[in-house]
Amino acid sequence: MAQITLVEAINLALKHEMERDASVVVLGQDVGVDGGVFRATLGLASRFGPERVIDTPLAESLIAGMAIGMAVEGLKPVAEIQFSGFAYTVIDQILNHAGRMRHRTRGRLSCPMVLRTPCGAGIHAPEHHSESPEAMFAHIPGIRVVYPSSPRRAYGLLLAAMRDPDPVVFLEPTRLYRLFKEEVADDGQAMSLDACHTAREGTDITLVTWGPMVQTTLAAAADLAEQGIAAEVLDVATLKPLDMDSILASVARTGRCVIASEEPRTASFAAEVAANLAEDGLLTLLAPVRRVTAYDTVVPYSRLEHQYMPGKDVIVTAAKKVLAFA
Amino acid sequence: MKIFKLPDLGEGLQEAEIVKWLVKVGDDVKADTPMVSVETAKAVVDIPAPFAGKIAKLYGNPGDIAHLGAPLVAFEGESDTPDTGTVVGKVEVGQKVVSEAPAGPAPLTGGIKTTPAVRALARKLNVDLTMVTPTGSDGLITGSDVQRAARILSEIGPIEVMRGVRRVMAQNMELATAEVASATIMDDADIDAWPKGAATVLRLIRALVAGCRAEPALNAWYDSEKIGRWVMKKIDIGIAVDTPDGLLVPVLRNCGERGIDDLKNALEKLVADARVRKVPPEELRANTITLSNYGSIAGRYASPVVLPPTVAILGAGRIAKQVVVVDDKPAVRRMLPLSLTFDHRAVTGGEAGRFLKAVIADLQRPQ
Amino acid sequence: MAIVAKFEIHHSQYLDPHGKAVQPLPEFARDPQNLAALYRWMVLMRTYDAKAIALQRTGQIGTFASLLGKEAVEAGVGSAMAKDDVFLTTYRENGAQLMRGVTLKELFLYWGGDERGSDYSGPRRDFPMCITIAAHATHAAGVAYAMKLRREPRVAVCSLGDGATSKGDFYEGLNAAGAWRLPLVFVVTNNQWAISVPRSKQSAAQTLAQKAIAAGVDGAQVDGNDVVAVRHAMDQALAKARSGGGPALIEALTYRLADHTTADDASRYRSPDELAEAWKLEPILRLRTYLMEHGAWDKAKEDVLLRECNEQVQAAAQAYLDTPPPGPDQMFDHLYATLPAALQKQRAAARGED
Repeated sequence: MAQITLVEAINLALKHEMERDASVVVLGQDVGVDGGVFRATLGLASRFGPERVIDTPLAESLIAGMAIGMAVEGLKPVAEIQFSGFAYTVIDQILNHAGRMRHRTRGRLSCPMVLRTPCGAGIHAPEHHSESPEAMFAHIPGIRVVYPSSPRRAYGLLLAAMRDPDPVVFLEPTRLYRLFKEEVADDGQAMSLDACHTAREGTDITLVTWGPMVQTTLAAAADLAEQGIAAEVLDVATLKPLDMDSILASVARTGRCVIASEEPRTASFAAEVAANLAEDGLLTLLAPVRRVTAYDTVVPYSRLEHQYMPGKDVIVTAAKKVLAFA
Repeated sequence: MKIFKLPDLGEGLQEAEIVKWLVKVGDDVKADTPMVSVETAKAVVDIPAPFAGKIAKLYGNPGDIAHLGAPLVAFEGESDTPDTGTVVGKVEVGQKVVSEAPAGPAPLTGGIKTTPAVRALARKLNVDLTMVTPTGSDGLITGSDVQRAARILSEIGPIEVMRGVRRVMAQNMELATAEVASATIMDDADIDAWPKGAATVLRLIRALVAGCRAEPALNAWYDSEKIGRWVMKKIDIGIAVDTPDGLLVPVLRNCGERGIDDLKNALEKLVADARVRKVPPEELRANTITLSNYGSIAGRYASPVVLPPTVAILGAGRIAKQVVVVDDKPAVRRMLPLSLTFDHRAVTGGEAGRFLKAVIADLQRPQ
Repeated sequence: MAIVAKFEIHHSQYLDPHGKAVQPLPEFARDPQNLAALYRWMVLMRTYDAKAIALQRTGQIGTFASLLGKEAVEAGVGSAMAKDDVFLTTYRENGAQLMRGVTLKELFLYWGGDERGSDYSGPRRDFPMCITIAAHATHAAGVAYAMKLRREPRVAVCSLGDGATSKGDFYEGLNAAGAWRLPLVFVVTNNQWAISVPRSKQSAAQTLAQKAIAAGVDGAQVDGNDVVAVRHAMDQALAKARSGGGPALIEALTYRLADHTTADDASRYRSPDELAEAWKLEPILRLRTYLMEHGAWDKAKEDVLLRECNEQVQAAAQAYLDTPPPGPDQMFDHLYATLPAALQKQRAAARGED
C-alpha cells in the first residue's frame, strides 16, 4: 500500500477504472500528453492511448457536451474542466442536458458521466482560478455533487462516481492536492456516495464541512480539544444528495453546530445545511447554527487570499460563541 | 393591411387551385361576399370574405395553387390580430390594477427571549414563561431558568384562580390603581360625647351627608377621557361590607333626603342582604361616594381605594380611648380615626379638607 | 503576398420550383416510385403539422413549432439515414423523426407537455428534441466520437437552423468534428428566419455552409425545397462519414412558411408579399408536379393519400387525447437511476402523503 497525495489518488482511481472498464475515457484540455495541468491524468495517455485520453480543443461547453453525447452512447466519460473559474460555462450543459437526459426521455437514455474540476483558493493562482462553485452545482436537479477531502476518500469516491449511472460533478480541493499523503490501497473499492463521513468524533459541538475546509476544520477541532472542547467533525463528501440524517443525528447528540465552507456566504451550500437543521433539528439545538464562510465578495487576487479564506481561528471563535450561548 | 389566409377547407385538404377571382382590387365587400372560386380535389368552392372591407391585394392568378395558411387576399386597414406578447406558452393578461401603499418597518415587539428547545421544555413542564426570571445574557431564558421555575411551582402547588366577588375586587382595584391619583388626609373625631350604644355607621352616614353638603365636589363622578365630572345632587353611599365571599359594596340610595329611621332600617336590611348575597346587582353599583368602616374589625388609619367613577372614600378606623390634649391638659377621650382618600384629579386638597372638617364637626355632635 | 487558403461553396439543385429537372437526376431518383415514396412522407408531415396547429389552437397541446415549408429537407434527411445512425435534432425536425420511427402519438404527447413523448419506441438511440439552441452540436461530437472509438459504421446527424450557427456550441461541435475527423454530418436548415431575425442580420458570412471551412470541414449548399438535392447531398455525406472520411456540413436553403411557433405572429416582422412569393417555391407542389408529369401520380392517388394521412393523424391525435395524464410521480421517476433517500420526502409531499 502506497502513501500518496490526493491528486495521485485521483490518478490512481482513473488508472484503475480505465483498466477495468474499456468504456471509460478521459477528456479535457491538456489531459493527454501533458498529463493535466495538475498532473491528475499523468501517464494515462501513454498507457491507454490518445483515443481514450483525449486532448480536446479549448472549449468547455464542448467538453461537457461531448461527455454527454459519449455517455448517452454508452461510454463512461470523465471530463475535466481545467480550473474552477471555467466551470461556470458548463452549468448550461449540466443543468439543461446532463441532469435532464434520463428524466426527459423517461429513462430511455441516461448520462453516466463525471465532470471533474479543481476548486478553492489557497494556491496563489491568477484570478478566476480559486472559485467555490459547489452551491451552484448542488442546485441542479438530477445530478450528484461530490467533494472529497483526503487521498483515500478521493480514490474511493471517484471510483464510485465513475460507476454511478447518473451524472456526477466531482469537485477537487486544489490546495489539498499535494498537501499531505495517506495510505491508499489500489483495491478498486468504491466508497459509498450520498453519505457523510465522520472525520473526528466528539460530544460538545458538531462541525460540518467539506472539501478543502475539512483540513482547516480538523485543525480547529484540535485547537478546541486543547481547550477541553470535544468537537465532532463531519465531512459531508456528497453534497447532493445530502445525507442530512447523519448531520441531524450528530447535532441531536451535541446540540450545537457550526458549518464551515469556503463559499461566498449568501445562498451558500452552508445555508442549505443550516436551513435543514432549522427545519428538522430545531428542538435538539441549544444554540443558533452558525456558518463560517468566505465573504460575499469576489474571490480576491492572491495577495488577499488568506484574508478571504476562513482559517481555523475563525472556526474556533465561532464554535466558542456557540458553546457560550446558553 | 389585414391579411386573409386560405382557411381550412375541411377533410385535410391543404391546397386548392384558383379558378376565378370574384372581386378586384379596390372593391368594398361585405362580410360573406364570395371573393374567389377555388377547386379542391373534391369540388369547386367559393371562399367568402371573412369581414367587411376594401380589397387591397389579391394573391395568385387563376391556375395558381393557393395553400392552406398562405396569404390569399389583403384588405386595407390595420391588422387586428391581437398581439400574444410571447412566442412561447401563454402569458395571461389581467385587468387588475394594484397600488402598493408605502409601508414603514414593523415595530419591534418586545417579549420573551428564549430558544424553541426551551419553549418546548416549558410546555412540557407546564411553566408559564412570563413567570420565569431570565438569567441568560440579554434577557435570555435558559433551560435551567425553566427548571428552577418548575421546581418552585411544584413546591407552591397549583394556582387558585379568583372567581366571583374576589375576582371582581381584583379587577376593580387594578383599574382603580391604574387610573386614580389618590391622596389621603387623616384626622380624628372626638366622639366622647356620644351616648352609649350609638350606631357608628349611622352617625358616619349622617356625617358623610354633612360633608357632601359642605363640599359637593367629593360627591361626584369623574370621566378621565373627557376630563370632566358630574357633581351629583343625590348622595348614594356605597357601604363596604365584609361578607364570607369577600368585599361587597351595596348602595344606600339618596341618603341626603331620608330620615334617620328610614336610613337605619334600610342599612340593616342592606347589610343582612349583603351577607347572604341577596342584594340585586343594580344595588351594587352607581354609588356616588363610599364608606368603609374597617375599624369595626381592626385598624386606625388607612388609605382606602377610590373606585372610579367616584372620587372619594371615607375610611373609619377603630374607636378607642386615647390620651388627647384638651384645654392644655391631658384627657382620656373616645376617638374615631378617619381617613379620607380622594381622587386628586377631581378634588382639591382644600375641598377634601373642608369635607373632612364638616364630617368631623357632625361626628363630634353628641346626637 | 501569398494566398494560403481559398474555398468554394457549391450549390446544387435537381428539380426547379416548377418541378422540372434541371440536370440529370441521381441514381435513386431515376425511378419515380422512389420519389413518390418520399412524396407520401412529405404529405403526411404536412398533415401532421396542420393537425398539431389545430390542436394547439383548441388548447389541446401547448406551444408548437411548425415545420411547414421544410418537408423536403425532412424527407431527404430522414430517408438517407441508416437505422443505427443517431439523430440529434431541434424541435423542428418532426418530419424526419417520423420517418425514423418516432410515432405521431409520441409527437403529440411531447407537444402536449408530457415527457413520455420522448421515450421513442422506434429509434431508441436518437436524442430527444434539443430545445436550447445548438447545445446538441457538442452532444453530437460526443456521439460521433464514441462511434469512431468503437469503429462502428454509424454516423451522427446533427440538425440545426440558421440561427443556431451563431452559437458558440455550434462552432465547438463543428470544430471538434473537424479536429478528430468525426463521423458527423451537420444539416443546417436555413429557413431564412430566427424568430424575427432574418438571415441577412444573423451573420455576415456569405453562406452558412462556409462556416464549415473554418473548422476544416466540407461544406455545401443545396436547394432545401428540392428533396432530390437534399437526399443526394445526404447520401454522399453519410457515405463519406461512414467510411471514415470525416464530417460534412450541408446548408439546405428553404423558407419558414409558418410562424416561429403557434404563439408567434410573423406578420409583425415580415411582409405578406414575401411570404406569398416563398410559397411559390414550396417543396410538395414542386415534387407533385414532377411526379404527375412522369405519370407517377394523379388526382385519385392524391385523394387516397390525403384520406389515409388524415385517418392516421386523426387516430394518433385521438390516442394522445385518450392518454391519461401523468401523476406527480412522473416528476420523480427517472430523475436518477434510483431515487435518493433525500428526495423521498419530497415525492411523498407531491403525492399528498405528508
